[in-house]
Amino acid sequence: MNAIEIEALTKHYTTGFWRPRPYPALDGLTLSVAPGEVFGFLGPNGAGKTTTLKLLMQLIYPTSGHASILGKPVGDIAVKQRVGYLPEQPYFYDYLTAEELLEYFAALFGASAAAARQRASGLLDDVGIGGERRVQLRKFSKGMLQRVGIAQALINEPEIVFLDEPMSGLDPLGRREIRELILRLRDRGCTVFFSSHVLADAEALCSRVAVMANGRLSATGRLSDLVAFHVRGWELVVSGLPDTALEHARSLGHVVRATKLGEGRYALELPLSPAPDRTLAEMIGQGARLVSLNPVRDTLEDFFVQQVAASKPRTSAEVA
Amino acid sequence: MRTIRLVAVNVFKESVRDKILYNLVIFAVLMISTSYLIGQLTGGQDVKIIKDLGLASISIFGLLISVFIGIGLVWKEVEKRSIYTLLSKPIRRGEFVVGKYVGLVLTLVINVAVMTVAFYAVVGYMGWAAPENVRAAFPSPAADPAMLKAVALIMIELMLVTAIALFFSTFSTPFLSAMLTVGLWVIGHFNDDLRNLGSYVGSSTAVWLGKALYYVLPNFAAFDVKAQAVYGQPVPMGYVGLTALYGLTYVAFVLVGAVTIFSRRDFK
Amino acid sequence: MRSAIALIVLFAGVVGLQAAQAQRPPLGLPQGATGNVLYVRSAEFMKRAALSYDAIVADAYWIRAVQHYGGTKIANNAGSRASNKQYDLLYPLLDLTTSLDPYFDVAYRFGAVFLAEPYPAGAGRADQAIALLQKGLRAQPQKWQLAEDIGFVNYWWVHDYTQAAGWFNRAGDMPGSPNWLKPLAAVTLAQGGNRDSSRRLWTEIRDHSDYDWLKNQARFRLSQLDAMDEIDILTRAVDAYRARAGAPPRNWLDLVRAGLLRGIPVDPERHILQLNPETGKVTLAADSPLNPLPDTEPPA
Repeated sequence: MNAIEIEALTKHYTTGFWRPRPYPALDGLTLSVAPGEVFGFLGPNGAGKTTTLKLLMQLIYPTSGHASILGKPVGDIAVKQRVGYLPEQPYFYDYLTAEELLEYFAALFGASAAAARQRASGLLDDVGIGGERRVQLRKFSKGMLQRVGIAQALINEPEIVFLDEPMSGLDPLGRREIRELILRLRDRGCTVFFSSHVLADAEALCSRVAVMANGRLSATGRLSDLVAFHVRGWELVVSGLPDTALEHARSLGHVVRATKLGEGRYALELPLSPAPDRTLAEMIGQGARLVSLNPVRDTLEDFFVQQVAASKPRTSAEVA
Repeated sequence: MRTIRLVAVNVFKESVRDKILYNLVIFAVLMISTSYLIGQLTGGQDVKIIKDLGLASISIFGLLISVFIGIGLVWKEVEKRSIYTLLSKPIRRGEFVVGKYVGLVLTLVINVAVMTVAFYAVVGYMGWAAPENVRAAFPSPAADPAMLKAVALIMIELMLVTAIALFFSTFSTPFLSAMLTVGLWVIGHFNDDLRNLGSYVGSSTAVWLGKALYYVLPNFAAFDVKAQAVYGQPVPMGYVGLTALYGLTYVAFVLVGAVTIFSRRDFK
Repeated sequence: MRSAIALIVLFAGVVGLQAAQAQRPPLGLPQGATGNVLYVRSAEFMKRAALSYDAIVADAYWIRAVQHYGGTKIANNAGSRASNKQYDLLYPLLDLTTSLDPYFDVAYRFGAVFLAEPYPAGAGRADQAIALLQKGLRAQPQKWQLAEDIGFVNYWWVHDYTQAAGWFNRAGDMPGSPNWLKPLAAVTLAQGGNRDSSRRLWTEIRDHSDYDWLKNQARFRLSQLDAMDEIDILTRAVDAYRARAGAPPRNWLDLVRAGLLRGIPVDPERHILQLNPETGKVTLAADSPLNPLPDTEPPA
């Protein structure tokens, strides 16, 4: 049984007051996520990622199509016991403290008062909220709210977690903490479905990804399958390179592009052939010193940009 | 059930931490006390005036709470998006709406209770402090327990206004909800005139319309037994019972409507 | 659809219970108590409280005054129910209306008619009517309609014909006043209370008034005067019969047979007039809408 099963899911909004037209926020999405996967749901803003998540949480109702979580149709109350959700830019009851909020949610899951308190306290430790937990949420910064958001998504030890832009609002330290958290969840066997437009996170965490553009699914599959990790060139960084040597290499076509980093220090883009060690040897012969030599591969970002460019925009008939 | 209770307790917590509530209660208590001073200036009629003012204050302040908090009950959560996280937990949309309602009613009950106690304290004192001959002339005792019937019906009236405000709050902005709720309350008070619309306005459409609206729109005038309470006129328990039953049935009707609307909507 | 069924059932419950409430007897109030309380009676206070919205607040009070009058009247007409409602809020409401808006002419004229009219059709307070009208004259000293109304109240309800004549005269002096006021003043002074001068007053009001309800009042009064004329004629016929026959007639047919009458007499509202065979007195039918006839003859 798949953790998430989505079939031809479509959501049309009507826009326009005088002549209402349907706006396809999501158009025929078919997708499945296996249990235990960390699945990256990628795409630019307006691609339909948040719409999909809202449909999965039954905050909105589909125009057509079907989705199920853990084998049961979306919205099933029993399934909600095993699910966690963090919306984009979360807002919580600002008159409650962080502690009270988590205890409230824990109680909604049926935890006793004591168990709720314990669970809340543990999670707050995990996400790095210390003494502020007794302060009313109205005084929390964006980053702290994001941490509270993650804590409330995990309050019931869910089997599957939906995160909408989990890294937003966090400083680099916070982002690293969340990355580690997601990896810990994966190790525990939790399925993680998260949407993001920050590709570096996806590259670091996901086993499979889907790329959305203009309301449609553009591509989906294992990361390694989608992005051909073939080398298309080399990046050579040298210091102490005399200008004459650089001109010579350029004229021979051994250097495609040169970026000056400082006096005699260059980042050079080398073609696939001749083999870079030959070009390097020549430069060393002229007095240069090696700083670094790295292969240049297609990244997820290249793939992403390609996909989005290739995807058909929503036609003018569709958009009001 | 459990979820309804949890949501209700949260609403109560919010209204307690929202300082508006304190101000209203203090103001109402102050109002009742100052009416005591007014009473001093109008010799003889003071107990009647204070009873009038006291019951009216309980009604008006309760109404303010019902409307001003009621119109935001659901709307605020949708607008601020706190509804997103809440509905991802194992709680049905209907339980959420009912929980909100119960929470506000709980707040109202406490408020009305506090105001009633203050009210009885004031009239009780006035009755005790009045000279014997003046006291003998009262149409009914100063701290007349029969006035509780008026308070009970005021409570039911508030429950109905709250339900209506909550209903509008499930799909409409606060300003519009306030106008509609207050509008219905005002029309509901002129219920008798609706019934007699035919004799004011000539056309037969008016007669039919007046009668139809008379049966359908909430009859708030029936909850108003303040005049009877003040004059010591008997209000039979049968009257209180029927009117209370009417009020509660209407509350159920409105709540079912609110739950139905709320269950079907998209949260953009 | 469970919710649809629930809604229908509950709606039926609501309508049914409302019908039940409609059937029960209304709660009573002690004799003379007003169901409504006017918390603010001071016009001065209200003028300040209304800020810049005097006109609208005046309108609101005017509507309330009309509602109060109409509602009380309907309740009293309803007969068996608690029908001792009073018009005691009418003057304060009209007073508030006109204090907020001194040019609210219809309020003065409404007050002139319905404050003075005796209970149960009106408040029976001619003094309040006159006070209201005089207040209006303080704001608009040259408004002849207000002076004419004071004259009218004095004439018709207070029976002070000297005062009435004085006011008709003053009204006649004001700019824009109709030219029948001065002659009316003279007639009133000369034979005040006389049916002719009353008829003249009401005819002028009927022909020249801008308010329908005032015109209707005038038509009604004129019908009453016609009825009184008829009664006089019939009384003379009865007396003639008595003189001739030595005994009062038993019924109208006697008079018809005696040639003193052409047919069964009816009043202007088509109700048959009544003859009392013992006293020979002619009166209106008890159910005639022209009852009670006004008393215009000066007290003996």
